[in-house]
Amino acid sequence: MAVNIDSDKCGHIENCPVQGLCVKICEQGALVEEDGDVKIIPEKCDDCDLCIQNCPNQAISKA
Amino acid sequence: MFNVERSGTEVRKLSYKDDKCVGCGICTDVCPTSSLRLGPTVPIARGLIEMDLVSCNADSCVLCGLCSVACPFDALSLTIDGEDIGEMGNYPNWETECVINEDECIYCGRCYKVCPRDAIIFERTLPERKELVRGEISIDKDECIYCSFCADLCPAEAITVNNVPTSSVDVINNSIEVDLDKCVFCGVCKRVCPQNAIKEVCSTCMLQDEIKVPEIVGDAFISKGSCVNCSWCSEICPVDAITITKPFDGTLEVVENEAEEKVCKGDACHACQDVCPCNAVEIVDGKADTNLDFCNLCGACITACPQNIRVLNRTAMKLDNINSESWDEILNSLLGGK
Repeated sequence: MAVNIDSDKCGHIENCPVQGLCVKICEQGALVEEDGDVKIIPEKCDDCDLCIQNCPNQAISKA
Repeated sequence: MFNVERSGTEVRKLSYKDDKCVGCGICTDVCPTSSLRLGPTVPIARGLIEMDLVSCNADSCVLCGLCSVACPFDALSLTIDGEDIGEMGNYPNWETECVINEDECIYCGRCYKVCPRDAIIFERTLPERKELVRGEISIDKDECIYCSFCADLCPAEAITVNNVPTSSVDVINNSIEVDLDKCVFCGVCKRVCPQNAIKEVCSTCMLQDEIKVPEIVGDAFISKGSCVNCSWCSEICPVDAITITKPFDGTLEVVENEAEEKVCKGDACHACQDVCPCNAVEIVDGKADTNLDFCNLCGACITACPQNIRVLNRTAMKLDNINSESWDEILNSLLGGK
């Protein structure tokens, strides 16, 4: 369950074109902003893959 | 909204209207130079990003017009020397239809309420109530004590009682009025009046055969530019007054693959529901359920689904008058599986 975030590719909220699109698009609350970075809460992830598909930096992949 | 324009022996201009675009990606599928790009449809549909659904690389676009003839929703149009190629006669045309037969329409307004694109222009004039009821009512102002029992209980709120104090403390200007446009001669006021000051006779029952059934008139038509041919209106019309011809025939299925963990996540995702221009998708028992009666097979949900489990198979299309072999080949690539 859950996803991996490649921190080299990730825009880290500040440099993300949408300031955290994955956090905004995840309605499960599985992706949260923490100290300007994206953090995953695996228990909440429902594997819908919306974040994978919509990440503008293609930084998210299946775990 | 974008425009791509270039002048040579003729002036060609491609215009894109985002308000008509449904994000189906048909234009990007047919573009021979891969100049058109479909944006992130799900974040746009959810209002997370504000941008056009389709963008164009003006440097590589050759202004051929394939996208504009392929778009079933008039979101793209190519003009040559100011004339829309759709009007020229030698370019392909969509034979889609969305018509309300005004002779059949009873102006119930159901189509107007269900249209997912607000494409139906609707207004009606109802007869006045007093044309439908008959009766007489009078109030004996010498008997009336302006207690307002009648006004408070009148179900039609037709009675107004005013008690306005004047400069002299013990004189009050009283008035009581019955609005005959609202009164239905039900008799509640008469029964509640402590002074027997109200005389009311309802003659509706006795005269009902004499009361003409009034005609309800109105206007109802579908704005072709906003309609996406989903058929909600024609399906819901109680008198079959609406004709809709959809752009495509075919099927749309959800094919899950449990072994590869490709399954519909329903409530967690609902990407298909968000992008569907037809309001044809519902989440039922945690799975996306598409009602093909309302689907126009545009394919917006296919690209939106992150699980890639939606399978569209178009078997026929209403795009006629394709005169070029190469265009026929490209446009027919919209048929088949996707």
